[in-house]
Amino acid sequence: MALAKQYGLRRLNVRPPLLEYIRDLMGRWSFIRTLATSTAYARNQGNYLGQLWAVLNPILNAAVYVLIFGILLGVNRHVGNSIAFIVIGVFIFRFIESSVTGGAKSISGKTQLLRSLHFPRAVLPMSTVLSLLATLLPALVVMCVIVLLSGLLPGYQTMTVTWWWLLLPAAVVLLWIFNTGLAFIMARIVATTPDLDNIIGFVMRVVMYGSGVIFPLAGYLERMNISEGAKVVVGGILEYQPVAVFLYLVRSCLTQEESIPQSGLMWALGAAWAVVFFAIGFVIFWRGEERYGRD
Amino acid sequence: MTEADAHMDFDLELEPEDLEETAPETPIGDPCLVVDDLHVVYRVVGSRARKEAAKGAEVREAQIKPSFLKRLVSAGRQHTGGVSEVHAVRGISFTVRHGESVGIVGVNGSGKSTLLRAIAGLMPPASGSVHVSGEPSLLGVNAALMPQLSGEQNIMIGGLALGLTPKQVEERFDEVVEFAGIGDFVYLPMKTYSSGMAARLRFAISSAASPEILMIDEALATGDAAFKARSKARIEEVRQNAGTVFLVSHSISTVEAMCTRVLWVHQGKLVMDGPTHEVAESYKEYIRDQRPPGRRGPRAGGRAGARNGGGKGNARKVGAQGQPAGS
Repeated sequence: MALAKQYGLRRLNVRPPLLEYIRDLMGRWSFIRTLATSTAYARNQGNYLGQLWAVLNPILNAAVYVLIFGILLGVNRHVGNSIAFIVIGVFIFRFIESSVTGGAKSISGKTQLLRSLHFPRAVLPMSTVLSLLATLLPALVVMCVIVLLSGLLPGYQTMTVTWWWLLLPAAVVLLWIFNTGLAFIMARIVATTPDLDNIIGFVMRVVMYGSGVIFPLAGYLERMNISEGAKVVVGGILEYQPVAVFLYLVRSCLTQEESIPQSGLMWALGAAWAVVFFAIGFVIFWRGEERYGRD
Repeated sequence: MTEADAHMDFDLELEPEDLEETAPETPIGDPCLVVDDLHVVYRVVGSRARKEAAKGAEVREAQIKPSFLKRLVSAGRQHTGGVSEVHAVRGISFTVRHGESVGIVGVNGSGKSTLLRAIAGLMPPASGSVHVSGEPSLLGVNAALMPQLSGEQNIMIGGLALGLTPKQVEERFDEVVEFAGIGDFVYLPMKTYSSGMAARLRFAISSAASPEILMIDEALATGDAAFKARSKARIEEVRQNAGTVFLVSHSISTVEAMCTRVLWVHQGKLVMDGPTHEVAESYKEYIRDQRPPGRRGPRAGGRAGARNGGGKGNARKVGAQGQPAGS
């Protein structure tokens, strides 16, 4: 050991200090970006239609939900334009859901890469979410077009392009930061306890129905058989939990629903959730840095 | 023991192009890598050790303090839970100086690849420590980058992962392609490559960053003669620049041709450490003793390749340090 010190050798396999880690990570930005865009591109390779699936996939997905919930079940009587409501919900929620599942696999599924190359491991969850963002962008264009077209159908509220549409990128950026935080947390949890990977699907389904992705929850809460005090608490949780906040932000930008006006409180909450999740997730992930790749 | 071992089924026959070759001497500098009492243990979740242990493998059921959840899951049942521990490297110490090229030899599953990964900083040690100067670079045969992406994209990703800037990677792109000798295949997905082509490309990428410590895990075994000559030249280049080269191989002739020093690892322990010719002689002798008859002993890893199997009875010959599994 004296020998190592004498010649100024660096010890391997120790977690770098947080600031140094962040600096190292920022130096790898082009690595994160390249990894993200290449995986986003590779996802749709091996099909005859190739990159067209980046657009077709979300359209089909939205069509299924619109058909079942909007038309057959008709659960959205309180909403002016149920197609717009469902399409925005499904597209945005898919981004969150795939960040969680992708983040969970970003470390545990890449043991070979971890055991052969040396780089700050935070690159992997970050690039996973970035690649999902890259696939979301064409889907967002599709989403806007569907929202506009749905207003032309009889019986649906007309949709117009307003100045608020310019805030859509801001909402997406906040969501991206939030998702990266989620991916950090999931990556660490699943890397240490692989069993939890099996539970994610069920949890996400609960979150989906608990966040008003397909139909607004307000009406159901009223009919619940609980005391008034409990209703306030449950209602507050349902309304201000992060997924619901981000859905609210995107809907308030794109639609003119009376029940979803622009809200400064919601924007502040969205920003707060994004920062909090990112910071906590990053630290949680960093604390496991020297362990990844061992199992 | 690790996945890489699956590819390590190469024979120990002498390869003609390596005969009569020895590694040239280069001046030896200051220490650049110090390994102190290194132990590596990795966990395999979801497999029971009992079966493996019965075969005499270096595997045992994990003695970690399990969390409440894990205890709950694995409580007394045969098919749930179960964490095995593989004690792949058990107390290895050595020092390497600038300009040395070190070969690591040993039979299948002796812990060579795990040792290499641990000193590259890719497998966290259970105890002990590794100190290095500079950033070690390791790409073995099995180090899959992104099989679904083209070689071109893999070169970019690999280069960036090794810490190059995009511009540096572009500058070296032609050189990497030429060195790997894969021509226009570079634009096809890597999963379409033959194993030799993929190994060549990985070696080309890993050495493109001109690392201070270059680690090669069987990468040369899949290449053809022309590639071997080129990689040998590349290894010399690294050493001339006061770098250090590690080479894991079964083929003792490859090691003899390229290394000045050899570490012989058996069952996670260092059996011999010395100049190539001395260690190579003893190793060859040991291997000859392992040949039939009497090779029915169990071995760590339990892979194929029975020709050089570490038989229980004969392993004792190795010496006090190399204790056979079954004893």
